[in-house]
Order: sequence, then C-alpha cells, then structure tokens
Amino acid sequence: MTATTPSAIAAGSRRPWRRWVRRHGWTTGIWILFLALIAYYSTLIPSFGSFQVASIVNNGSPFVFLAAAQAVIVIAGGIDLGVGSMLVLTSVTAARLMEGQPFAATILIGIGILLAAAVLNSIVGWIITVSQVPDIVVTLGSLYVFQGMALWVLPNPGGGTSEGYRYLFTGSNTGIGANPWPAIAMISIAILAVAWWLGRTRRGLSLYAVGSDTTAAYLSGIRAARVKILSYAVGGSFAALAGLATTAIAGRGNATTFGGNLTLNSVAAIVLGGVALTGGIGSVIAVVPAGLILFFLNPILSAMGVDPNRAQIIQGLLIVIVMMVTGLLEWRRQRRS
Amino acid sequence: MSESTQALLAARGIAKRYGPVVALRSADLTVAPGEIHALLGANGAGKSTLVKILSAVFGADAGTIAVNGAPARLRKPADSVAAGIATVFQDPALIRDLSLEQNLRISNLDVGAVMPWLERMQLDSIDLDLQVRDVPLAMLRLLDLARALAKDPQLLMLDEITAALTTDQTTFVFDLMREWKERGRSVLFITHRLGEVLEMSDRATILRNGTNVAELDLEGVAETELVRAMLGEELAEAATGEDATARTGRTIGNGERPIVLEARDLRLRDKVNGVSFALRAGEILGLTALEGQGQDELFQMLSGDHRPTSGELVVNGKPLTARSPFDAIRQGVVLVPAERQHALLPQRSVRENLSTPLYNRISRWFTLARDEEERVSRAVERLDIDIRAAEQVQRLSGGNQQKVTIGRWLAAGFDTLLCFDPTRGIDIQTKAQIYDLLRELAADGAAVLLYTSELREIPLVCDRVLVMYSGRVVSEQDARTATEEMLLSAAHGLEEAPA
Repeated sequence: MTATTPSAIAAGSRRPWRRWVRRHGWTTGIWILFLALIAYYSTLIPSFGSFQVASIVNNGSPFVFLAAAQAVIVIAGGIDLGVGSMLVLTSVTAARLMEGQPFAATILIGIGILLAAAVLNSIVGWIITVSQVPDIVVTLGSLYVFQGMALWVLPNPGGGTSEGYRYLFTGSNTGIGANPWPAIAMISIAILAVAWWLGRTRRGLSLYAVGSDTTAAYLSGIRAARVKILSYAVGGSFAALAGLATTAIAGRGNATTFGGNLTLNSVAAIVLGGVALTGGIGSVIAVVPAGLILFFLNPILSAMGVDPNRAQIIQGLLIVIVMMVTGLLEWRRQRRS
Repeated sequence: MSESTQALLAARGIAKRYGPVVALRSADLTVAPGEIHALLGANGAGKSTLVKILSAVFGADAGTIAVNGAPARLRKPADSVAAGIATVFQDPALIRDLSLEQNLRISNLDVGAVMPWLERMQLDSIDLDLQVRDVPLAMLRLLDLARALAKDPQLLMLDEITAALTTDQTTFVFDLMREWKERGRSVLFITHRLGEVLEMSDRATILRNGTNVAELDLEGVAETELVRAMLGEELAEAATGEDATARTGRTIGNGERPIVLEARDLRLRDKVNGVSFALRAGEILGLTALEGQGQDELFQMLSGDHRPTSGELVVNGKPLTARSPFDAIRQGVVLVPAERQHALLPQRSVRENLSTPLYNRISRWFTLARDEEERVSRAVERLDIDIRAAEQVQRLSGGNQQKVTIGRWLAAGFDTLLCFDPTRGIDIQTKAQIYDLLRELAADGAAVLLYTSELREIPLVCDRVLVMYSGRVVSEQDARTATEEMLLSAAHGLEEAPA
C-alpha cells in the first residue's frame, strides 16, 4: 500500500550487469575506443609491432600521469591549471640533480621530488582554502610561478640522468626501444594504487564526497578543507611523476616547454575520460586510455595521410562528439526510467 | 523535571547573527534524559539556527552548551557526535554521487551498525550499492535517520523529519522515537505539525524572535495554546481563524466561470494513467495523494516541463503543446515548485528574483519593462515579505523564500497558478498568509491548482479536491465537506467510504 515500497528499489530488481555497465560504462567505452584505435593503427602501418606499442606507451605515459593528477583534483571539486608547469618544474629539477649520478641516487632524487611536489602543491591547495579565492584563479598564478621556477632551476635545456632510471620509464637505457613493459608496469601500479585509494578507502571517498556536495560532506564529519588540500598534494605528486617520466624519456630537461599547453591537454583527457568538471564523478582508470588516445591520435592521423595541421581539428571534434554521444545515452536512459 | 535530575543538554543564552539579521537573540534549551522534547516556533524564530549550533555546523556568537553537566566545546560536527548528539537535517546529508554503502563509510560507520535500524524500518532489503541520486527523498530521510541512530546518540535531533514521509513511514519513525525514549535516551523534535507534537512530545520549548518564550509541559495542552505561545496573542487569531475562505469569501457561482485549463486523458508512460479535470477561473482546485502517485509528473506536464505521452492540455480553449515552461508561461500557466531552490536565484536580491519572469518581456523588446519597479514593489507589499535580508534571497527564512517564489508570478502576471506543496516545512503564520494570498488571487479571477500533502488544510483553502492514486484521479469531492478520513482512504486507493 505504501507509495514507495522498499522492494521497488531493492536488490535484484534490476539486472546487476546492466547496472555495472551503467556505472562503469564510460570506463568500458573509452577502453574499447582505445583498443579499437590501436587495432586500426596496426592495419595502417605494415611494420606494426612492439616498437610501436612501446613508443605509444612510453611517450604517452607523461600525459597519462598528468591527466591522473588533474582527475584527482577535479574529482575533489577543484581544478589545477598549474599541473603542466609542475611537470616542467619537476622534470628540469630532476635533470639538473640527476646528471652524472649513479642509479640508486637518481631513484632517491626521484622520490624526493615526488614528496617535494606534494608539499609544494598542497601549499597551493592551502592558499585556495584559506583565501577562498577560486581554484582556477589561484592555479593560474601557480602555473606561471612554477614555470618561472623551472627557468630559474635550468635556464638552458640540459642536465641528464642515469641509464637505469631511463630504463625504468622507457624499457631502454637510451630511451628508445621495443620494450613497453616497464612503462606499462609504472602506469598500472600508479593508476591502480590511486584508483583503489579513491574508491575504497574512507579518505579517498571523501574526495568524491567533497567534490559532490561540500555541505553534505561536512555534515557527515568530513573536514572539507583538509580533503581539498590533500587532493592538491596527491595531484601535485602525480604531476611530478609525469615530470620524472618526461626526464627519463628525453634524457635531459627543458624549461622552455610551456606548461599551459600540457595543462589543457590534461583537462581534455579527463573530460574524454568521463570526469565531471563539476566534481564528484569520474574514474582515474578511464583517464588512462583517454590520455593515450589524445597522445597517439597524431601518429594515427599522419599514418592516414591527414595533414598534421588539421589533426588538431579532429582532436577537438573527437572530444565534442564523445561528449555528445554520452550525453545522448544519458538522456535516453533518463527517458526510459 | 525535578531539581535533582541532571539535564542531558543545557544550552544557555545562545546567540547568533548573520550580518544585520539576528537569528538568535538569547535562547535557552534544556533537554532531560529520556524525554521527547519539541522545539517550536514560527518561521525565522531561530529553530534551525539553534539545531545547527548544537550540531556544530557553525559556532554561536555567545552562550554556553553543557552535556550531562559538563561544558561542551562544539567546533566541528564530529565534536557534536562525540558529545552524544546526532542530527537528521531537513535536507538529507548524503552525497549524491556516492553509493549508499560509501556514504555510510565516509561517516565512519559500519554497515553492520546501521542494518538493524534499516530492518526496523523494513528497509533492510534495500540495495546499498545504489547511488544516492537514484533513491527517492523519503527513503533518504529514513536512511539518514538510520545513520544517526547507528551513532547511538544520547540526544537525537530530528529537523522536520516527517515533512516528506508517507503516513506509514511516519508511523515507523514515531515508533522508533518512542523506543529511543524507553531506552532512556532523548529526542529533540522539530516540526510544524502540531498534531504530531502533541502526540509524541513530553515537553516543548517555544522560540519567538530568537528567544525562548515558553517551556511547556504538554500534558493536556491544546493546539491553540501552542499556537498562541508561538505567535503571541494578537497574531494567533489570524492563524487559527481556521477558514481562510471565511475571511476572504469563497467564490460562488463557479459553474458560470470560464474553464481556463483543461486536462483531457493525460498520460505519461506508466506514471500518469489518464487524468482529466477542468479548472475554472476563480477557483482553487485541491489535489492530494500519497508520495509517488504521479502527481509530480502531472505537474511537470501541466507546467510545460515534460510532454505527455498522450492526451491533451487545453488552455483558454486552445490546445497547448508546450516545448518548455517558456511556452506554458506565455499562455499564463505558471508553477510554484516544491523545491524553492529550483525557482530562486539564491545569491541575488529579492527585487531581482521578483523581476526574473519579467525578463521575457525585456528580451523581446530590448528594453526594460517600464513598470518593473512598480510591479515589484507591489508584490513585496502584498506578500508582506520580511526584507531585512533583501540583498540575498538565500539569507531569507524558508517561509519568506516561498513568498518570493509566489511573488515572482504576481509581478509578471498569470492566469493559472500551479502550486506544488507550497507550505512544506513552513510555519503556520506564513502558511496562513500563503493561503490567504491564494484565496485573494482566486477572488481576483485566477485559477489555482494546489497540490498539498497536508490533508487537514484542504477544506480551509480549496473549493474542490481531487485525490490521485497510482496515476489516476480516484476521487473528486467538495472540499468543504471532505473529511480527513475520506481523503486519506481515497489516497490509499481504498473504496470511497459512504459520506
């Protein structure tokens, strides 16, 4: 007799696989798109093999890490325009400190940089929470500050690192080779660890909670300000991971790369990966293929014979079309229910 | 309460102001162990502010709080929980984008501790993997209650918990409150439904203008006495004068008035299954139903928010196929939604909010409606809106916000007013003003369709009343002779009792 009987939304009233697809639909879809593009790419060039796979995974890994950095911060309701220049800053710092050092020392330096980046970016988060200035404004500032610091650390391209360190990120002592496995392992470990933390631990869930509804989160006993700072710290160290990978790939540092472009790329990747810019929704696992797709769209298009100057148009259209298709699916779902 | 019994909670001289607006002047509240204590007061009396201070949502400007005789420093919500206070707020504090289970986890609660309470509410079959966004509001309130109970508090504070609940859900909640009391724990009960207060509570503290004006033992107290204490002597007459129609004069000779809105066999998927009715100028047509009987969808169709699957909507003799509320509004059909947030721009001024619907005219002619100023001033005056906090609507009390939602249409002009539960969670004084306003509008020739979940108020304002059950209109009655029992049994889909 009740208006809303509990059984109406009780367990088993919907098919479980349907709900799984709905909840993880974007992640599944973007992975399928990624694999389909890889398969298509392999038919385009005759010599497709482990060298091409290694090239995509190795050179794409900074994009993936940077997208993950942005994803963590956006999920908690912020946005960090400074991640790109954080990548540049950490990359040149690594190149300067690691030059001529043995393998063990470069690893220790790398770990030190990850921690320092977390501290540095948590200061950004702290400024945002204390000053109540919007994230986008404060991080626009940090974008330029970090870029300037990078030029100060390494005014001219240079520096270096150890061979073992390069192997760790690229599967080769020279940065060029046919072994994709070290890069795949690095990406898998880092992404699965942060995905587990975000989705399964109380602290990680509180990032989603704050991004979704700060007031409700506060009333649930979550300290929203601390969570926000934490998201910037984690995001900062992921941006640093991207910087460390960049140094390993290039074997040197270059502070003249402008971080703003990298930042925009990270925003594009999380949008494509289904992270809501309004916060509270999204998965870092979906951000991995999204970052890689944006990276290797260029080689695909050039293999197809498309003028590289027009590749950007296609990249932009791809983002809009994916958003439209998913918006359409959501609209249909709501109409049906 | 005898002198020797130590109070569970003793708040003394609590004060709080928001800028120029004093929410609490100096409020005292004493809750004894093992009692159900009601906190009463008209809108803006400071009830919600006091509850939020006790839950440490924000701090007080002055005053002391003692729990079990020991002074408590409540700085953040966790302090309040640690002191043995758990609150169910008016808006469920659950996060939409997380699943129910994740919501329990972030508040540091074990699912095992919550489950027994869900069982008591017969909600144990609920799937905890569901996302909050997919769960109906009434159920979220019960889940929020279960979450509060699982914290095993000494004092449970319930802010308007029954507002969105159906009758049988309310019964569950009341049983739980009684059980809580039998365990020697206490409940602070905040509601506008005085019948519930008298049924459930042992004592009541009454706030007026931010100060406690009375603490009553409720044994043998009548509703009118509570009303008098809440409003002060002179206003009580107006609010308990029972029949709004008696003061403004009920419209007569409806049969001759033109039909302004007619629904012909409206259907929407499986939610609305053929609803027909005619609404005439100058009448207030009541509509009531239990939660989820298609009334939400019916209002969405009438206001142009949703297109019917089949059926016809005729406005002033012409069929209306609205693509959006814009089309309906241009035909003079306007909606006052239940959620005030949907109608208002919370950070803008009262004046701007009132003139928002006028923008249609502005944008059409690229010029400001010349009489905007005058229309807005008239609306403010007519509604008797307390404009002390006029520069931001979000600072107004709930009742004043609701007046602004109606006032918007007063300024813009309309033929048909659709009101969806406009008095939910609003104090009796404002309620009476809103009902008076509706009667006046009807007397001026407007047609009003009023959905309300408060059955006892239907005879006071409406001319006719429809009852919906499972997507159909199952009963139509003369509102003057309709009794609560008749309406309730019709709303449950029971055979109509012979009148």
